[in-house]
Amino acid sequence: MNKNGKLLIAPSLAWLSIFFVIPMLIVVAVSFASRTTYGQVVFNWTLDNYIRFVEPLYISIFIQTLVVALITTVITILMGYPLAYMIAQLPKKWQQPGLILCMIPFWINFLIRSYAWVIILRTQGVLNTLLLKAGIIDMPIQMLYNEGAVMLGMVYALLPFMILPIYVSIEQLDRRLLEAASDLGAGPFTAFRKITLPLTMPGVAAGTILVFISSLGMFVVPDVMGGAKSALVGNLIQNQFLSARDWPFGASLSIVLAVLSLVLIILYYKAIQAQKGGERDAAKDVA
Amino acid sequence: MKKFWKSIYMIIMAIAFASFLTTGCGSSKEEKPVLNIYSWADYYDPEVLAEFEKKYNCEITYDVYSNNEELLAKMQAGGAQFDVIQPSDYMVSTMLKLDMLEKLDHSKIPNLQNITPALRHPKYDPNQEYSAAYVWGLTGIVYNKRYVKETPTSWQDLWNPKYKGHVILLNDCREVFSLALKKHGRSNNTTDPQQIEEAYRDLKKLNENVLAFDTENIKPKFISEEAWIGQMWSGDAAYSYTENPNLGFVIPKEGTLIWADNLAIPKGCKHKDLAEKFINYMYDPAVSARNFNYSRLPNANEKAWPLMDPAIINNPVLQEANRYLERGEWLHDIGDGIRLYDKHWTELKTGN
Repeated sequence: MNKNGKLLIAPSLAWLSIFFVIPMLIVVAVSFASRTTYGQVVFNWTLDNYIRFVEPLYISIFIQTLVVALITTVITILMGYPLAYMIAQLPKKWQQPGLILCMIPFWINFLIRSYAWVIILRTQGVLNTLLLKAGIIDMPIQMLYNEGAVMLGMVYALLPFMILPIYVSIEQLDRRLLEAASDLGAGPFTAFRKITLPLTMPGVAAGTILVFISSLGMFVVPDVMGGAKSALVGNLIQNQFLSARDWPFGASLSIVLAVLSLVLIILYYKAIQAQKGGERDAAKDVA
Repeated sequence: MKKFWKSIYMIIMAIAFASFLTTGCGSSKEEKPVLNIYSWADYYDPEVLAEFEKKYNCEITYDVYSNNEELLAKMQAGGAQFDVIQPSDYMVSTMLKLDMLEKLDHSKIPNLQNITPALRHPKYDPNQEYSAAYVWGLTGIVYNKRYVKETPTSWQDLWNPKYKGHVILLNDCREVFSLALKKHGRSNNTTDPQQIEEAYRDLKKLNENVLAFDTENIKPKFISEEAWIGQMWSGDAAYSYTENPNLGFVIPKEGTLIWADNLAIPKGCKHKDLAEKFINYMYDPAVSARNFNYSRLPNANEKAWPLMDPAIINNPVLQEANRYLERGEWLHDIGDGIRLYDKHWTELKTGN
């Protein structure tokens, strides 16, 4: 890289090191500290916080969080892929508006949108009132404050993060490959399975990572739409900092979460690479 | 490279110049002392603050925090200098143990006598040496008369299977344990593992009735009749009652939790004299009445009550809380005892 190139990245490097690396190091340091009786942090380099974590209670919360994140990711793929595909098939002039429609919710703060869901779903809410007036039900349905509401909120919040990367990869797909497949006698389904899907996997992979990581740290949705009844890791961490006044334990939980996500991303990435390699080998075999 | 340094240099010069300008402005005006208040949001009528500024020829800056931990963290960081702060009860005891509060000179703050006697000798500061109750409240049972036909009297009523799926508890570990401990006739400051365990097992059963845990957004849940019965702070309940008169509020017979946010002066503050004048001014009955007519919060200043808007003072919720003030027990900082509570609190939320 030449001198000018280095200069160009200097601001972002400085930014990252001041606002990302240093705070991260502080979190790491605090995770090895301990709490005094009145909640102050003392740096005595102990593993206590990590030992405390290895307990069925906290492990089960991590597992539950992973399950919720996994389900969220799968649902967003199942919903996001067809939508992204549909947008990419629209005439060029309609594609941009289609994407903008997916982005519009971001104009409003996420917390406010969660409360909007509360207003829609609560027993005296918009949906129940409509159903009651239409005579479809005679007692309001309890739609909020359960696992289903948490899933709904998660999928709603994270769906755009799945749609956008998938859209990009579908949009970049070389349509001539599909024409060639059709010329060679492949039906639309075979062409999709053998060409479109493998070639758009990078988009799905990017979307998966974005959605999965974001849902691991989510704490607003379980609080607002889940009625704070089931704790996810995000809630546990928030609680350590804000009410248990145990920053070291909260910090160690954050570190465990960060390392866990990193490991999962690496594994996932490796799996995708291996699959790609496998496909290449298969293609060679055919040739 | 040269260009780069040149631009950096320009930026530094610009900043230096800007700061020169602002300080220049400050010193050209006559020096007014600045009283720094660090408190909860909406605790003061801006007009009352403006009057104080005028009367004592000073400026007030009013910064807010959203919980006691934030206040403590900022005080410990040391960078921020405040003259008046407003810690809650248990935070006063924490701050006293950390030697962070200045003694209040009662001869300079005679209006402290106006505080209602029941709030004048709190356990965390028995002689009001360091803190003065400003706003207070009790945790009680709020219920909607349309769905809950028998008036609740005891915490036990929350366990009634009739209310399954309609109970709301505060999303606060100490508050929720407090109700179960009180039900068993224990102190809500206990650190006895057996008593905490017993409360936890009971709460586990209550879980089946619980619709949601909520603190910030609990009022709309009762106003819109999503919930039938639950645990609520008297201040929130008084407000909710004005929006939905079907709501009732009782202080359970077994006792409950009482809280207060207090005015205090931190050690090493720069304007102690002015801070004392401020506190004294805030307890002046006429000033206090106007101030609390604005905020509509429960006023600890007894002498101001007759001067306040009757609609606020005669709110049945606040009257109920007033009547049973002595049923409240203050929360203390229980030190490492919090760990066991926190663990059970987490367990409570993983059971289903």
